[in-house]
Amino acid sequence: MSRVLWLASLRHLSRHAWQVALATLGIALGVAVVVSIDLANDSARRAFALAGETVAGRATHQVVGGPSGLPDDLYRHLRLDLGVRPSAPVVEADLAAPDYPGRTFHLLGIDPFAEGDFRPYFTGNATAPAPIDSQGRGDMAPAPIDSQGRGDMAPAPIDSQGRGDMAPAPIDSQGRGDMAQGDLLALLTSPGAVLLSAETAAELGLKPGDTLTLRVGSQRRQAVLAGTLLPSDELSRRALADLAVADISTAQELLGQVGRLSRIDLLVPEGPAGEATLARVRAALPPEASVLPAAARTQILEQMTRAFDLNLSALSLLALLVGMFLIYNTMTFSVVQRRALIGTLRAVGVSRREVFALVLSEAALLGLVGTALGLPLGILLARGMVRLVSQTINDLYFTVAVRDLAIAPLTLGKGAFLGLGATLLAGLPPAWEATTAPPRAVLSRSHLEAGARRAAPRLALGGLVALALGLGLLLLPSQELLPSFAALLAIVIGCALLTPMAVVGLLALLRPALGRVWGVLGRLAARGVVAALSRTAVAIAALTVAVSVTVGVGVMVDSFRATVVSWLETALQADVYVSAPGLVSNRPDQTLDPALVARLSSAPGVAVANTYRRATVTSPEGPVELIALRLQTGPDGLPDLRGNLYRFKEGNPRTVWRAFTSEGAAIVSEPYAYRHHLTVGSRLRLQTDRGEREFPVAGVFYDYGSDQGVVMLSRSTYDQLWDDRGVSSLGIYAAAGVQVGDLVSSLRALAGDSDVLIRSNRALRAASLEVFDRTFAITGVLRLLATLVAFVGVLSALLALQLERARELGVLRASGLTPRQLWGLVSAQTGLMGLAAGLLSLPVGLALAAVLIFVINRRSFGWTLQMAVAPEVLGQALLLAVAAALLAGVYPAWKMARTSPAAALREE
Amino acid sequence: MLTDGDSRRPLVVLRGLGKSYREAERERSVLRDVNATIGRGELAVVLGRSGSGKSTLLNLISGIDLPTSGEVMVDGICLTGLSEQARTRFRRRHIGFVFQFYNLIPTLTVEENLLLPLELNGRRDKGRALALLAEVGLADRAASFPDRLSGGEQQRVAVARALVHDPLLVLADEPTGNLDAETGGQVLALLDRLSRAAGKTLVMVTHSVEAAGLADRVFSVQGGHLVERAPLLEDS
Repeated sequence: MSRVLWLASLRHLSRHAWQVALATLGIALGVAVVVSIDLANDSARRAFALAGETVAGRATHQVVGGPSGLPDDLYRHLRLDLGVRPSAPVVEADLAAPDYPGRTFHLLGIDPFAEGDFRPYFTGNATAPAPIDSQGRGDMAPAPIDSQGRGDMAPAPIDSQGRGDMAPAPIDSQGRGDMAQGDLLALLTSPGAVLLSAETAAELGLKPGDTLTLRVGSQRRQAVLAGTLLPSDELSRRALADLAVADISTAQELLGQVGRLSRIDLLVPEGPAGEATLARVRAALPPEASVLPAAARTQILEQMTRAFDLNLSALSLLALLVGMFLIYNTMTFSVVQRRALIGTLRAVGVSRREVFALVLSEAALLGLVGTALGLPLGILLARGMVRLVSQTINDLYFTVAVRDLAIAPLTLGKGAFLGLGATLLAGLPPAWEATTAPPRAVLSRSHLEAGARRAAPRLALGGLVALALGLGLLLLPSQELLPSFAALLAIVIGCALLTPMAVVGLLALLRPALGRVWGVLGRLAARGVVAALSRTAVAIAALTVAVSVTVGVGVMVDSFRATVVSWLETALQADVYVSAPGLVSNRPDQTLDPALVARLSSAPGVAVANTYRRATVTSPEGPVELIALRLQTGPDGLPDLRGNLYRFKEGNPRTVWRAFTSEGAAIVSEPYAYRHHLTVGSRLRLQTDRGEREFPVAGVFYDYGSDQGVVMLSRSTYDQLWDDRGVSSLGIYAAAGVQVGDLVSSLRALAGDSDVLIRSNRALRAASLEVFDRTFAITGVLRLLATLVAFVGVLSALLALQLERARELGVLRASGLTPRQLWGLVSAQTGLMGLAAGLLSLPVGLALAAVLIFVINRRSFGWTLQMAVAPEVLGQALLLAVAAALLAGVYPAWKMARTSPAAALREE
Repeated sequence: MLTDGDSRRPLVVLRGLGKSYREAERERSVLRDVNATIGRGELAVVLGRSGSGKSTLLNLISGIDLPTSGEVMVDGICLTGLSEQARTRFRRRHIGFVFQFYNLIPTLTVEENLLLPLELNGRRDKGRALALLAEVGLADRAASFPDRLSGGEQQRVAVARALVHDPLLVLADEPTGNLDAETGGQVLALLDRLSRAAGKTLVMVTHSVEAAGLADRVFSVQGGHLVERAPLLEDS
């Protein structure tokens, strides 16, 4: 293409610097939002995977048990009797450090003598776990393993603790391979001895010999820093940051799990030899135990957050979609403004292809600059987002400490691709439009606008087709989310295409009223919007999309909240709730001291104390959240629910409770039933400490506490099948005449120094709603950002529109319009555009909300939500649209009112 | 084959040319059965009332628009038989335009406006552009942007731009319509002088009697028909 053509194009852009800057800002914000969410999700995922790899090390398989773990005899049996090696026992738990609020440690209890090659972080040779070849060799070449899975060292004698007598552990107090015997002795024999990474110890101001308080359930335990681990590289540094390493017996004592193991790590070669070893292990396992590939845990937990990640990503893409409107808007303006110019170029022989390339190159340039700005902005934004994302993951799914933002080149590449792709896609229609400019000098504006008005019905027809397509996608009988998001996109695009027609219709309705109120100027303002439909429709569509997203997401969150409030009122019937503080969230992931449970349950003023145990058990479909519920029974033998504690979606309450308490039946939450296709009468299988058992499903209850769903069994059924006697929380009903406040105080006095949360019903409800609001904080941020992008778009469109009308406004000034009247006229027009966008966004937003509530939420999480439309959400949307448009009109109105009519008339 | 061709062969041949537009339900005929030939190096002027179809005729001759019937031959090439792309390339190479409202590219300097047709034809002959600018008396304004020039100066640049790539045919659409009489006269004289000096064929649509006075051939559009009249000066 001609250099001079490029020059003309670049100078055009530089002469409309503000327009270009706003478009660039729009695309930069869009890219930033997408990149930040992606980085935040990715960082959380990586932190979790790294934590998993740190504790799993090079293990290929893990022997795991139920909620109470495994007996440590099993390890001795596997290692000594069956010669299963390399194998290593592990005791682990996430613990809070009350002296350092918000800080959690993953306590990893290991046997230094059996560690061998399992966790290379302790040898100063940190690497990611390496694949094991058929000889059992990883890329760090551990000792060769024979066909029995044995190493080539002679089987080592095992002491009574199941410890091997292999070479002393490759751990020293500095985390290096040559541990002094004295330090090893301290780790093995000093009560509460733990190792922390040197960096963490320094960060907390701890030195060897100092005490570190850890909270185990409702009790505090003292650990002693025996030494520090020196990570050899960045990966080990991050891996070790939240790890507290202890000897296995110390960890058992700290956790109150003497004689129990969390799991046994195995290093099994691939191929028939490994299969044979696994078969031997499986044959030796007690009923509650099973062997899982080491990667399974990470994979399962990643699956848990998949819908959450996807929903956030989809919402972040909305910001980019609004950004695309902005680019489309800018490029369309740029083409329309230069239509006569492009006509001249065509007349002197510039081909359509060259015009197309020129306009698309301009879009690409904007996309390139916008993306280049958006990527660092995204990284900045991600630093805030990662906190919100990891908090939500901690609240809803599992404990993960995300300390660093992982800036993955792939994520940045994806952001760049999306930014440029979106810009080019948005630039295609205007580039095509430019090629249709006839090669003649003058084509009247009225002719152009008449064309735009003629196109409105065709666009509306396209919009209806897009809507029909979206509806069709929604009706697909599938649990997949992608068709749902595609449907959402089709609906948004369909509504945008309907906008020009809707604007013409709406303003035809408004015009007489405006004429009556403001006379000719009122009619002029209304006509002005329709007269420049080729420009105004795009701006109105962009604002409509942004505001409707606000309405849609707002109504969805409100509906969700209203449903949760109503559910909490039903579910939280007890007067007082007692639980151990969560690690970093409200999830009841800790247990209460049994003595405390007994003391509080029989306290004066307590009429009924129901116990809850929430534990994760395994099932053929993966881990399952299980609630063991002990409800005191009334005179009829049915649970004394003191009200309708659970609302059942399926099943008659009397029949359900009878089956639950006396027949060992399970009741499942709605999301669980949805995910696993269960209904009343179905059967589900769980791995118990007595082996795999089948449970009939007696009912399906509404529950909004977990998107993975829960299975509930009576405590007596649980106690028969599992050895775990822990209690996660207590629901206490006050005796008649006892004030709840007084009861809370007396229970707190009884609890003494124990770390427990004793909260009234109201306080727990407030805490639950706080978690809910925290969960949706990120949604609010994304909504705000999408609106910001839209505002930039409207500002850009209105500036262009009004400044382009300089000559027309100059004529009006010359004809006697005062600056104030001119200001009024411009503001009336921009206000009308905002009003049109606001009014159109209401039905569109409600449609989006309905899709989010009834389709996407259902397919993502399986919840039934009641749609609640708060009039203030709609009022705010209308106000937002009008205010954004009016605000965007301030500068052009001011500029036009200040410009002398003579100057405006002189301008070309 | 496009060459300067046989000097005896007419450069422009219009045969049975018709053009009509659809307006609402009605067909409006602008040009009907137009037949004419214009020889090489001739200056032809087309007169007519506003809306008579003069500009449409120029658009048909340049290949910007296609006739409803008939054909347009320029230098032996039938433009009506060419694709849009081919007509664009033909225009780029062989036609120079002068418009009533100048239509210079506002984001290019005067010199760059002249370089544009050259570059489109694969030439970057800065010397040629500056020489022509000197001929139209604007050598000192080469670096100025069009909006800094008066109407007359802009039209002089437009004349230079129309000739800079050495086209076969220059088409001028009311080149003095936006200028005062004196400036218009100067521009006409310049257009006449430069096109004759370069041996170019010039077809000019105008209301200007003065322009008609310079013409070798005078046509008028009446009722959609192109009627050749005796040169104005001979009439008077």
